[in-house]
Amino acid sequence: MSNKPYRVPTAGTGGTVGRLIDRSQTVDFTWNGQKHSGYAGDTLASALFANGIRVVGRSFKYHRPRGVIGLGSNEPNALVGVGTGARLEPNIRATQVELFPGLAATAQNAWPSVEFDIGQINSLASRLFPAGFYYKTFMWPQAFWKSVYEPIIRRAAGLGVAPDGPDPDTYEQFNCHCDVLVVGGGVAGLAAAEAASAGGARVIIADENPQFGGISDIAGGTLDGEAQSKWVAEAAQRLAQAGHVHVMSRTTVIGHFHHNYVMMLERVADHDPRIMNDGAPRHRLWKVRAKRVIIASGAIERPIPFANNDRPGVMLSTAVRAHLVRYGVAPGYRGVIFTNNDDAYRTATELLSAGVPVARIIDVRPEPDGPLVEAARTAGIEISAGSAICGLLAKSGGKHITSVKVAPYSTTGRVSGAEEQVDCDFVAVSGGWNPVVHLHCHNGGKLDFNDEIQSFVSRKHDDPVVTIGSANGSFDLAALMDEAYAAGEAAAGASAAKAKAPKAASEPEGALEPLWYAPATGKYNEGNKHFIDFQNDVTAADLELAQREGYESVEHTKRYTTLGMATDQGKTSNIIGLGVLSGSTGKPIPEIGTTTFRPPYTPFSFGSIAGTQVGKLFHVVRRTAQFDWHKEAGATWEPIGDWRRAYCYPKGEEDKHAAINREILTVRGKVGILDASTLGKIEIKGPDAGALLDRIYTNTFSTLKPGRGRYGLMMNEMGFLFDDGVTVCLGKDHYLMHTTSGGAERVVQWLEEWLQTEWTDMKVFVTAVTEQWSQFAVAGPKARTLLEKLEGDVDFSADGLAFMSMSEGTLEGTRARVFRISFSGELSYEIAVPANTGRVFWEKLLAAGEEFGVEPYGTEALHVLRAEKGFIAIGDETDGTVTPLDLGMNWAVSKKKADYLGKRALELPHLADENRKELVGLLTEDPNEVLPDGAYAVSSVTEKLPMDMIGQVTSTYWSPTLNRSIAMALIKKGRTKMGEKVTFPVAEGKVIRAEIVDPVFYDKEGERQNV
Amino acid sequence: MSEALIITALHDRQAPANLAISMTEIVDRGMIDLRGLPKDKKFLSAAKSALGVALPTEPCTSTQTGETLCFWMSVDQWLIVCPRKETGALLGKLNGALEGIFSLAVDMSDARSIIRLKGERVRETLMKGSSIDFTQPGFEPGTVRRMLFGEIAAMVHVVSEAPEVFDLMVFRSYAHHAWDWLEATATKGSEVGFLKPAEAPAVV
Repeated sequence: MSNKPYRVPTAGTGGTVGRLIDRSQTVDFTWNGQKHSGYAGDTLASALFANGIRVVGRSFKYHRPRGVIGLGSNEPNALVGVGTGARLEPNIRATQVELFPGLAATAQNAWPSVEFDIGQINSLASRLFPAGFYYKTFMWPQAFWKSVYEPIIRRAAGLGVAPDGPDPDTYEQFNCHCDVLVVGGGVAGLAAAEAASAGGARVIIADENPQFGGISDIAGGTLDGEAQSKWVAEAAQRLAQAGHVHVMSRTTVIGHFHHNYVMMLERVADHDPRIMNDGAPRHRLWKVRAKRVIIASGAIERPIPFANNDRPGVMLSTAVRAHLVRYGVAPGYRGVIFTNNDDAYRTATELLSAGVPVARIIDVRPEPDGPLVEAARTAGIEISAGSAICGLLAKSGGKHITSVKVAPYSTTGRVSGAEEQVDCDFVAVSGGWNPVVHLHCHNGGKLDFNDEIQSFVSRKHDDPVVTIGSANGSFDLAALMDEAYAAGEAAAGASAAKAKAPKAASEPEGALEPLWYAPATGKYNEGNKHFIDFQNDVTAADLELAQREGYESVEHTKRYTTLGMATDQGKTSNIIGLGVLSGSTGKPIPEIGTTTFRPPYTPFSFGSIAGTQVGKLFHVVRRTAQFDWHKEAGATWEPIGDWRRAYCYPKGEEDKHAAINREILTVRGKVGILDASTLGKIEIKGPDAGALLDRIYTNTFSTLKPGRGRYGLMMNEMGFLFDDGVTVCLGKDHYLMHTTSGGAERVVQWLEEWLQTEWTDMKVFVTAVTEQWSQFAVAGPKARTLLEKLEGDVDFSADGLAFMSMSEGTLEGTRARVFRISFSGELSYEIAVPANTGRVFWEKLLAAGEEFGVEPYGTEALHVLRAEKGFIAIGDETDGTVTPLDLGMNWAVSKKKADYLGKRALELPHLADENRKELVGLLTEDPNEVLPDGAYAVSSVTEKLPMDMIGQVTSTYWSPTLNRSIAMALIKKGRTKMGEKVTFPVAEGKVIRAEIVDPVFYDKEGERQNV
Repeated sequence: MSEALIITALHDRQAPANLAISMTEIVDRGMIDLRGLPKDKKFLSAAKSALGVALPTEPCTSTQTGETLCFWMSVDQWLIVCPRKETGALLGKLNGALEGIFSLAVDMSDARSIIRLKGERVRETLMKGSSIDFTQPGFEPGTVRRMLFGEIAAMVHVVSEAPEVFDLMVFRSYAHHAWDWLEATATKGSEVGFLKPAEAPAVV
């Protein structure tokens, strides 16, 4: 059977068919690589119909052929891949894809093709795939799960595939605030927005569809005596032009969170990617802080499951009607309507007036009545009242419906009696309406069951959120308009101006008769699946099986059967699933309860979540003022905090090791300069500044004279080291604290926390000044000679600037703070100049030192230099569990001060324990062997693990100065073990032995820095 | 001895042509971070005498005299912005007036970079990087707001409204990040048009 086109001609229909398409403008696109064309205004779904394509995908588990069922975002079946290569986006609902020239779409989960899919064999073997089949069928033998079963299942079951490269498009995020956010642009939403904005409130109204108006074009009732669409167009125009209302189409409100924080996804360019050529992002993620939220998200039609209700051509009644009215397509040539309510009669008459024959209306209600029913009857459509579809016949592997079986239905839920066969090739089905309560529930909103509509509606929310219109179960036009205006006025406030509401006239409708599924007659469940959740292939039988097996709680049923767990989050399936459970347990639906509604309402792109934070904006990189110089000098980088610091500066063919060794020897033999600008710098001033420092540091600072500095250790209350550095006294009650680069922010916050929360009586101000200064270490025997060449008024002499002192002055035309401190053990100065003069000053240092062979050195040389001297580094020798005493730094821990942070903790038994690990130096037996960082020392090497671990390496380097390896380690009772050998079992059975020595490897007397 | 050459953080950056706003680095401003207690009348009057204008004590506000601006930063902190060349003298004057008063004044002229943003889309561009409500009534010339912008600490000063001119201030080491962020989000094609009159949407 060849594909037949389903486009309905306009002729003879009064122009109401295909209102949204422009038949004069064809649009070419591809489907599975084949060229097709539709009209401007088509969706992919309607264009596929128009091209006679009814099978658009294969189902998740059984690979059954599937077609379009729904409308817009509620479509569970027609999931397609859109785009190609890196731009492929899987699992997009074909009903939401707007056709544009060059659109490339593909069917999913089908191999080799959607028309002939080998995986359909799963369907024949469906006895192997009941609910919970993961836990049953593939349990034995256990070893097969990982190697055989899982890979096969993963290949056989699933949806779309991932794109094959990084997303080339741009995305962004937008934050905004508004007085009222209206979710949904149907008549209720528009009315609420009009009322809310009448007094000047800032209003956002968002709708996920390309057009505003919801389903007002195919619903009953009039506004101001005319078609609802007319008022919709006028209201939308008024709002868009108001200037204080933001009107957004193609924007899905995807989640509602605490305090009316709402996320929305705006699909800026999906409908026309050419927009991106001008720099528009593909998607924009909105983060809205709304004072009030009005949910007018509408309702989703639910189907009535019947045997083989998943065959392509079985559609929701409103979807059939909307596809006809909007896009001029019908799902077939001869339809049957299956309903339990009046609305489906509209679909019947609409089809008939467009020239599409309707073979039968099958209504489960015994005596359908009212104007809509009358109109269908008058039009000559045959109605089978008190009947249900009890079977569906199809050919070509289920791809083409040939007829339905109809049998008498009684309200007790029985389908029995004489069967009749009605020929047709499509079925429009309507089982009632489920209010879209998702958003209401995202942030804890509760639900009540409404008997009239046989579905759940929102209970009053704790946040300023109200639900109106059909989302609130209000289906009568006049009533819902009243509700909408009232909600908008309430949101605007009592004093706000009022909007004028149109006069609404409803179309009377009869009550619906709940029916959760129509059981098949004949052999039960033999090739007669009643699909509840199309996307996850969950059937009524699966739900009943779950009950029989004891998964009674609805949450258990959900997880066992995967009901409602697919990408559509059960939009069409949830309530009928509950209805089936109700039928099989005998409990009313409210007692069964609902599963949890979680964001997002529909899936949204990872790109929008990343937003602007991609590429170079993925993570902040902090640059010193000399960053460009380092870059131009070919530096390799080390991230420290968010900073990038020069790790080393390889020259020519040099590798990193050679560069580091050269830099170290330059400092030891000549002079080197280091960009130390990242060091934390904090100015501390006030009458209690000295007292604050005495509490923060382990040693005493209040006795420091102006112009003098001291090295200090900081502990937390637990007695553990967390920062160190030199603090200098700038003047009376005025200090400058240096911290580690990575600890700068942490220490400022630490000081502020103590000052603001515990020591509130202290009069001290703390200001972080790290960013103000560029700071350079000038270290090496020639440091002084170099600096004395600089133009300025700073005395660098041994007497003029003694070790651990500082002075301020002018150097090379810029203000400078000069500190005589040393982290290398060499004659060393650190010079701070305002950051904007840093780059020039750095180059002056290089120029002045050229005759002495000055070179820049990086962070790795800095570390080797300090390790050679046995200086600790926070983060290497400390890990948050190390005390100053562990490091042998008792000299820096005051015995005299009354109290300071961590003092008492050091007296705790486990910190005073003599068995603690202590800092020692290590010399490997083989001087050329460098211990791995973090290597564990053991008391003895044994065949079997675990070995008794007695410590670990904290710093380990090749020392070019000593021409051998050196290391520091924390070893249990290490200081009592000087001269002993300790063993380090490293990878692959290798053992490294090292002698425990004093951690100061070089210039133990400190003569080099005191010159 | 001649004065040292200044190289600011963004000296090598120029806004590309595809932006909907203009972006330039302001390099002639000096900045002083001032701490003191707002309930200390001596402090307030000493500061006023040195600055020539009272410090603002309302959150998110500023005061101004001539080219000297005082930004409210927190309950006990202000940022004084003045011509760069006058910073040293002003700091000296402040320190002189504040002698013996519990306070801390620090030259922070090089600690921050100032990016001047001009154009109708300034607020909208900032809204792509910050959750502050830039469209709220009262967010007008003189308003100063510290914020998280593009994942970094920043502040804005509304310079004027017609035309829209905002100064975005970020710490110097983050200047390139802020600039890159603005370049990525201020493109002509990415207009949001938030709360601006727009064409009517399509309807069913």
